[in-house]
Amino acid sequence: MPQSNDTRHIDGSDQRSLSVPDGTLQPGQVLQSRYRILGIIGMGGMGAVYQARDLHFQNVTKLCAVKEMINMAQDQQLREHTIRNFEREAEILATLSHPAIPQIYDFFSFGDRAYLVLEFIQGRDLEALLNSTEKFLPVEQVRQWGIEICDVLSYLHNHEPESIVFRDMKPSNVMIDHHKRVRLIDFGIAKTFQMGQPGTMIGTEGYSPPEQYKGLSSPAADIYALGATLHHLLTRRDPRLEPPFSFDQRPIREANSEVTDAFASVVMRALAYKPEDRYSSAEAMKQSLEAAGSGTLPDPNVRANVAPSPGYQGSPAASSAPSGYARNPGMAQSVPVPQPAPPVISHIDSVLPIWTFQVEDAVRSTPTVHNGILYIGAYDNNLWALDAKEGSLIWKFATESGIGSSPAYGGSAVYIGSSDHRMYAVDARTGKRKWAYKAESKIFTTPHLALGLVFFGSDDGKLYALKPGPASAKEAWIYNAMLPIRSSPVVADDSVYFGSDGGEFFCVDVSGELRWRFQTRRRIMSTPLVRDGVIYVGSDDWHMYALDVNQGYPIWRFRTKGAVVSSAVYAEGRIYFGSADGHVYAVDALAGRELWKYEIGSAVTSSPVIYLDSIYIGSVDGALYCLHARTGDLLWRFQSQGPILSSPFVADDMVYIGSDDQHVYALRA
Amino acid sequence: MDLIRRLFGTSKREVQGEANGQSTTSVPETIGNSHAATAEPVDQPAEAVSAPMQTRPLEPPKTYTTAQPSRQIKYGITSDVGRVRSNNQDGSMTLLATAEVTGSPPAIGLFVVADGMGGHKDGEHASAVTVQTIAHFVVEQIILPQLESRELNADMKTIPEVLSEAMEAANEAVQTHVPNGGTTATCVVIRGDLAYIAHVGDTRAYLITDGHIELITRDHSLVRRLQELGQLTDEEAEVHPQRNVLYRAIGQGDSLEVDAATRRLPPSSRLLICSDGLWGVLGEDRMSEIIVACAEPQEACDRMIMAANESGGPDNITAILIQMPD
Repeated sequence: MPQSNDTRHIDGSDQRSLSVPDGTLQPGQVLQSRYRILGIIGMGGMGAVYQARDLHFQNVTKLCAVKEMINMAQDQQLREHTIRNFEREAEILATLSHPAIPQIYDFFSFGDRAYLVLEFIQGRDLEALLNSTEKFLPVEQVRQWGIEICDVLSYLHNHEPESIVFRDMKPSNVMIDHHKRVRLIDFGIAKTFQMGQPGTMIGTEGYSPPEQYKGLSSPAADIYALGATLHHLLTRRDPRLEPPFSFDQRPIREANSEVTDAFASVVMRALAYKPEDRYSSAEAMKQSLEAAGSGTLPDPNVRANVAPSPGYQGSPAASSAPSGYARNPGMAQSVPVPQPAPPVISHIDSVLPIWTFQVEDAVRSTPTVHNGILYIGAYDNNLWALDAKEGSLIWKFATESGIGSSPAYGGSAVYIGSSDHRMYAVDARTGKRKWAYKAESKIFTTPHLALGLVFFGSDDGKLYALKPGPASAKEAWIYNAMLPIRSSPVVADDSVYFGSDGGEFFCVDVSGELRWRFQTRRRIMSTPLVRDGVIYVGSDDWHMYALDVNQGYPIWRFRTKGAVVSSAVYAEGRIYFGSADGHVYAVDALAGRELWKYEIGSAVTSSPVIYLDSIYIGSVDGALYCLHARTGDLLWRFQSQGPILSSPFVADDMVYIGSDDQHVYALRA
Repeated sequence: MDLIRRLFGTSKREVQGEANGQSTTSVPETIGNSHAATAEPVDQPAEAVSAPMQTRPLEPPKTYTTAQPSRQIKYGITSDVGRVRSNNQDGSMTLLATAEVTGSPPAIGLFVVADGMGGHKDGEHASAVTVQTIAHFVVEQIILPQLESRELNADMKTIPEVLSEAMEAANEAVQTHVPNGGTTATCVVIRGDLAYIAHVGDTRAYLITDGHIELITRDHSLVRRLQELGQLTDEEAEVHPQRNVLYRAIGQGDSLEVDAATRRLPPSSRLLICSDGLWGVLGEDRMSEIIVACAEPQEACDRMIMAANESGGPDNITAILIQMPD
């Protein structure tokens, strides 16, 4: 009866090291004048298991297994208690009769050691079998073993007068003998010897249900442990190396697609966190396992009844753990938050616009709303002013080329850049031109108004700081970044932040002197976000960067699988942004750890806005998405007829968005 | 590597002074030995620092317990075998680099506590290997580049990335060199006012602000998990027979999941990193009480270790306390 590698326990102290104390029995030694030790077949936490020969049979070789348990209890009373427990359980076992339960021939104890003499079983235990291959065990075989184990558990649980709980169901305690039958080899007896050892240990039992740690042991515990055993056999993920009770975070079919839905759901029901949510008996589980083979779902309630155990991330205690605290390292790794499937709600796509307004070419400009007027540019060369409530035209202002940038409102003027190389100041009320300033190339950046200056970048590679007058504007200073600037500048704390097509991110002081720069690997189109001493900026090198405002020191970087053109928005310790990889991400602002991602499937170059608990963001698939900020669940989406490359704007419970379909839409936020 | 070797050549029981002598020294600069001031015993009599060459009378000595506004990070570190164990399996280290050069890079520091497990010498070897590996990674990839003012670009690894790699390397090193050992590890890199934390096991980090103590790591222990799931109350967890069982540690498998967090440390706040020999014995309130009562972090560390020993000192005890500038 091999005792395979048990849970790895490492004792914290020399004195109480778990290695078996001196005095392992030597081959040739005879116990009770009857059992001649032939050799060690296994070494467990509590002592050795020997192969022995029964000397009562002189003419034939009758082999047996002798399991030795060393009493580790320090306290005399506890020692005696342990021995009494052992003897009582051995007596119960001796009365059992089931083909999967090895026969017990004898038991005795002396000194600090107790011995159990059992049938010698040839074969291998399930852990050894699993370790003998790198492949998955045949699913059908595992199911058959599960059925056989249910059978023997059922026998034990229905034992009269007292139900017997196996207590230690795990792969290493299930042998497959030379007849290919299941045999349970290690009843919970050994457990009595394990309690009360001090010192930090590594490795949990892995297979035991939560209630067992309160000392509760019931047939439902065996069912859970069988579920855990089957989960391990099917997924090859050892639960002793995982956070306890986290099976629901390792979906069986994700690891091993050969497992049927029906089989997987039987296992997951056995692993329900609450005993009452598991199978009520081993028979019931056996029936379900049998039915799972025929491909039909055994019981219509199976799925409905499964209450998932409290999530590792989602449990109340876990969420009260330090905010932004992660299982995972900070960088670009997905956190196994159970990804809620988007709720399939029919009205998700039933949102209708409050109004629409058609312009004469694609809209890639993000609107801004002030005093009930919405301002937005379009590739039809015009800056449009619309009534924000009704969508009626107030005025339009024509430039000499397409407008790809977004307007900014300041004072009584609206500022907008055009691909006609000019930055315009337009009277917000009348739509009359106040002044125009000509740069050396196209302007695709959104002007930023601060410190009485208008900041913007141009394809000519220059960052302009203009001093606006009533009828003209002149340069306060110009910073030459050498390569086109399509990342809109942001001014915060007396610094101007922007990126360039060279992948450089600049921090320039308000007099135009370079403070620092940070080099990314590809061009920067994203507008920086400055928040609590951190700058968030995306790059076409697939990363979102978090840089320290003081020197540009990278605090973290988050890797997506596509260019990050989208600019981040901040709320409650998180930032949100999209990527050309087709996802919207929520990332912990200080740790750079992913909190959720929502898959859109088409590139997201639009920048999100946050309003109340919702995130609004467009995608090149033509839809405007409304996601739940905390969970990333889809709340609704609105489909336009062309790609959405611009970003939404929210004001007065309305969300506004422009589309390549030449329309501006107003929707209820 | 010399730097690292020197760091770990010291004895287990380390009593270091602060990073900065300014607030503690009683010696005017004219004496020119301010570098030694940090190592002076606590109650240095005035005569002992009198030098024949002094040109003006010394000010009366101040003790370490006098709180002084500090512009620099200060820290204390104490590690003790306790009263029961025969060896100290805790490993720990501190390193703080402050450069007054052009560009004014902020102070950068590395603080690590690892609590080793395993029979014979395995526990202490596992924690030592872990501390050394982490130190090597952080010094080479974070601290040296900063001291050399290397250019900031996307090719440099961020601190969370380096910490994560360092922990993984430590995991490999322990499996290779100390196959029967394992260890917890909680390491903190402080740069400016940001603390980057990487953590595996049940060595804890606490943030103490305005007398309020907050646990900022999560134990990878069975009882903690049971508590999170509502199976155990705090009281039950404290006496649970398996309260020392970890489900995640360095040296226990090929894949290591490392917890990572970043926190901004407010002015005057303190960060405590300690092994379970401290928090398991004293509890949060008692630790907080001692920390708040002591003006100097070294004194707080010493007193906490003393208090843990007075309560029986059942395990090895290690504390690092970092105090942010006012």
